[in-house]
Amino acid sequence: MLSTAASVLIDATLLTFTLALASLGLAIIFGLIGVINMGHGAMLTLGAYITWYSMASGVPFVAAVLLAAGGVALVGLAFEHFIIRYFYDRPFDTLLITWGFFLVITEVIKIVFGTDIHNVPNPLPGALDLGFQEVPAYRTLLAGFTLVLILAIGLVFYRTGLGIKIRALTQNREMASLLGLDIGRTYKLVFVSGSFLAGLAGALISPMLSVDPYIGMVFLVRAFFVVIVGGIGQILGGTLIGSFLIGGSETFFALFSTQTFAQTVVFALAIIVLRFRPLGVLTSGSRS
Amino acid sequence: MTTLQTASPPLRKFRRLGASENGLAVIALGLLGLLPIFVSGYPVYILPQYMLFGVMAMSLALLWGFGGILSIGQAGFFAIGGYIIGLCFKWIGIVNPAYAAVLIAPAVGAALAAVLGYFLFRAGVRAAYFVLVTLAISIIVEQVAVSQSQWTGGWNGMYIPRMSLTLGPALDVSLFDDAPMYYFVLAIVAVVYALLRWLLAGKFGKVLVGIRENEDRIISLGFDTSLYKATAFMISGALATLAGALYGTHAGFVSPSLAGVLFSTEVVVWVAIGGRASLLGALLAAIVVAWLSNYLSALVPKYWQLVIGVVFVAVIIYFKGGLAGAVARFGARFNAADGRDG
Repeated sequence: MLSTAASVLIDATLLTFTLALASLGLAIIFGLIGVINMGHGAMLTLGAYITWYSMASGVPFVAAVLLAAGGVALVGLAFEHFIIRYFYDRPFDTLLITWGFFLVITEVIKIVFGTDIHNVPNPLPGALDLGFQEVPAYRTLLAGFTLVLILAIGLVFYRTGLGIKIRALTQNREMASLLGLDIGRTYKLVFVSGSFLAGLAGALISPMLSVDPYIGMVFLVRAFFVVIVGGIGQILGGTLIGSFLIGGSETFFALFSTQTFAQTVVFALAIIVLRFRPLGVLTSGSRS
Repeated sequence: MTTLQTASPPLRKFRRLGASENGLAVIALGLLGLLPIFVSGYPVYILPQYMLFGVMAMSLALLWGFGGILSIGQAGFFAIGGYIIGLCFKWIGIVNPAYAAVLIAPAVGAALAAVLGYFLFRAGVRAAYFVLVTLAISIIVEQVAVSQSQWTGGWNGMYIPRMSLTLGPALDVSLFDDAPMYYFVLAIVAVVYALLRWLLAGKFGKVLVGIRENEDRIISLGFDTSLYKATAFMISGALATLAGALYGTHAGFVSPSLAGVLFSTEVVVWVAIGGRASLLGALLAAIVVAWLSNYLSALVPKYWQLVIGVVFVAVIIYFKGGLAGAVARFGARFNAADGRDG
């Protein structure tokens, strides 16, 4: 019984960090510059595909991951520079345009890489034996990496000049610009960072899934709910808490039923949270 | 909440041309009615499906173009309708199962949309968040259709017989042949179009457009906007579910991918291209684009979807009014040359 509880806890923790990793890019772009990036899922997928393709061409895993993150960041840069930056003051249009971006990127992926399902070899096979349960080594490493990544982003955010600029921008855009902050460049930096993180997440998650052109889709919805449940703008703590609530409840419900059913229940619960706590579970709910 | 979408001039002009839209609709539906006389075979078989897609497109145009509420979960409702008619044929033996389905399907769609819409709009949930909730609906329906295979057949899908029209105790009109089914669906499309036009021309439509333009102002005028938005979503859900039920019996087969995000997106693309604030634009764009998709996806399978995606982005950026908006702009210029604008 105790070991069951422990293994549920371990599963929930691993899923929490996977979700947090998959949500960071969305959380940053949404929380800092107010764009709901519906292309987030496609960016994850693209990251996974670049990883698969690089590894199939003989590139080692770590280099493939960096290629994927860098490649997706470049695509994000081009997308921001040529289209998105003209629409920052029209949030609903950015939602539609990023949805179009999802369509286009998904089709480009299909054209370039084909529609077959691919597998990325696990770079760290094997498991840690805890006595009562084996924990996959790669997923454990990934959880640790995600934690470090979140801490690093926190460091940039709260301990560097750049972080101060970004926070100033989200608190008062007019005042920040009057004080000489280059808004356009800062927005661009945030969008590209978010894209980079999405590509990185897709790359790192790819060994755990079968890679097909639509793997990012469910992650988009899950990541969105993570961000909403955790609270928009609460980029680090909120993402972790949101991931824990979404991932934890998914693991919990999966105990009694199937994975798909658990996910359905969690989506329904997240919609209820959205209704009563539109600003996240930490803040008291009010109209937004 | 500030309104996120403001009508561009072409959209506004188009509304003034509303009267001539009815005329165009009569011509378009009339042409569709004459078609089976001159053509037979595949077009007569396949067009009813596209017309039902058109009903789904109109359900979205009502919501998005008039209410400013975007749903990318319409395919979820459509698929629910398809499964409902399939289950009715399995479980209901006494009366005509299709009749039961035609009543049950929109009722289920309406109930689902009304509950969800009222629940969310009451709390003032942002339009953008609502989009993601509808995306979740689409994914949930697909997953349920896959996992509850004892009812839905899972990935293998579900086969559904073609319905017949029971007109009296001894009078059963089979719709098994293409032409009768074609006229049956065409009649439904015409009725749905006329009802929606009537609805939107009245107070409901005016309040809905007002909500799209400036919700705060409509609230200050004393309207319960969440009720109007929930009603719009309810009607939209009911129509999409009804269309799905008829599609199910026409196509004879439904599968989980019918609920999928891809299909939901296609609907949004049709409506964006046709003109989101025009029912006729949405209806015709659905028929034409679905027909083109069928034709071109055989010809250039790899690139067609990409073209659709690029066109979608271009429409959002450059032509918010879609084709209907462009036609209206042209019409307005024509009228202006005539000495009066609208």
